[in-house]
Amino acid sequence: MERKNLRIAVPKGSLFADAVDLLTRAGLDTTGLSQPGRQLVISNPGVDFIIVRPTDAPVFCAYGGADCGICGKDTLVEADLNVLEMVDLKFGGCRFVVAEPAAAHGRAEASYERLGSLRVATKYPRITKRYYDSIGVQVDIVKMHGNIELAPLTGMADRIVDITATGTTLRENNLVVVGEVLASTARFIASPASTRTDERVRELAARLEELTRGQDKVKVTAGGASA
Amino acid sequence: MIPTTPRGFRDVLPTEAAWRQEVTRAVCDTFASWGYVPVETPALERLEVLERAGALSDTPFRFFDSDNNLLALRPDCTLPVARLAALRLAGKPGPFRLCYAQEVFREHGSLYGDDRAFGQMGVEFIGADGVMADAEVICLLFDALAASGIEGFTVALGTVSVLNALVAASGANEAWKEGVFRAFHNSDFVEVRRLAEAPEVAGEYGSAVAELLRIRGGVDAIERCRALVAPLGCDVGLDELRCVYELVCANEEQGRLLIDFSVISSFDYYTGMVFKAYAPQVGHSVATGGRYDTTLEAFGRKGSAAGFAIGLERVMQVLEVQGTCPPQVGPQETVYGTDAAEVFARAAELRRSGKRVAIGGVR
Repeated sequence: MERKNLRIAVPKGSLFADAVDLLTRAGLDTTGLSQPGRQLVISNPGVDFIIVRPTDAPVFCAYGGADCGICGKDTLVEADLNVLEMVDLKFGGCRFVVAEPAAAHGRAEASYERLGSLRVATKYPRITKRYYDSIGVQVDIVKMHGNIELAPLTGMADRIVDITATGTTLRENNLVVVGEVLASTARFIASPASTRTDERVRELAARLEELTRGQDKVKVTAGGASA
Repeated sequence: MIPTTPRGFRDVLPTEAAWRQEVTRAVCDTFASWGYVPVETPALERLEVLERAGALSDTPFRFFDSDNNLLALRPDCTLPVARLAALRLAGKPGPFRLCYAQEVFREHGSLYGDDRAFGQMGVEFIGADGVMADAEVICLLFDALAASGIEGFTVALGTVSVLNALVAASGANEAWKEGVFRAFHNSDFVEVRRLAEAPEVAGEYGSAVAELLRIRGGVDAIERCRALVAPLGCDVGLDELRCVYELVCANEEQGRLLIDFSVISSFDYYTGMVFKAYAPQVGHSVATGGRYDTTLEAFGRKGSAAGFAIGLERVMQVLEVQGTCPPQVGPQETVYGTDAAEVFARAAELRRSGKRVAIGGVR
């Protein structure tokens, strides 16, 4: 029986270039993948690359649309789906932080003291909930879709939980980091069924682990985990 | 307003319903051919009873009845059948070979595209343990999957005993131990490896835990595992696992059995072997099972037990992907005539010859 091509979900956007580079170094035929144009699937001998939004990579792996794929740890936590998290690929580093307006120092604590609950705006409700559960703080989460920085500036929320790579956007809006939630890097993920029935998934995972071994992860120091 | 069914619940139309019944019948006939007898449990259970055996990993629908009892729609069948064995079969010696085919219900958040009601066909072999009992359950799973019509399935077999022994002997603190189990349950291999290198655990135990994830194959995998954990005194249950593996391989021709130590079910009640069955091109497992020797005790009956459940929806999905044809339904003949009594008599005669016959009318 002829074997079907291995189907790999490759994330568009900021993770794309590193992902393609790593897959190439892992020995896959990535011809045409770096310049896909409008094509959504690049088929090469033995492998299909499915180009997806980063948040959709776990969905493809969980529902049988792809055998394996690449996405950020943050996406994985937020998706909360049944996929295997196989390898930390150590690129695409970013942090999830708690931030508040510099001018409003102490306001959130006072509000929490009075109401017993914080109001937090975020695009990532599950990550936020998980974080506040872990530190035992009651929180009302306001889900937003963009420009989260506006929420505390307009008084809609006490704080925000957002993703940051360099901190520039936060600084420009006079927000200061008051807590570290999660350090995220890209992960190699796989469908449970493919991992257990298709040797190629394990082999690829082993090669990727070999290639990324010894590389420095984004270091995020502990502490500063205030409410 | 156009009336719809609740999200995750659906009507099943004739062709599909007939197909589902045919598959269910083939699987249940296989259970019967191994001497398993059917039981039925109520759709509603008292929540406290279900929770007695440990945390439920699947969220059930919950209700209050008019007596203010907190009830739950059964989220699986293993706990209800264990309760049945403890309660209704108390004082009877056993062992019991029980099987079922009934719906289970789970509450999911919206937007996951998951069903909230699905069929499960399964067995519970209660009051028996050891190699013979474990091998019986797995062989029966092979026969049942083959009878369902699935081609080229793989059963991945592992055991929780080795991981349990490693974690217990590790000398690490409770937080580390819980973390390891949680990471295994969540299939988070990155977290397992991070914990393996953590300072709170002795290096050799940590690296053995991380290495477990990698070990898969045939008898060689069991021996590699033994070489890894025997020096730490944690080679628990490996002789038995090897016997089970060899017994099943010697007796099953369809499908394939693979040892895989990364298989740890999300249910935390398993105490020995654990296994999951997969079919090509379908992302989820089609069946899952294992040995759960402490569950019965939670219901007041001593004894060991093992079993599995096959997901009917998952099986149907595989049959469709592999291009299996649904059974023919509907009448093959329709009888008309001038006399009503003759129409009925002729139709009955045709039915006796094995045909599906509808009554037409009088002309």
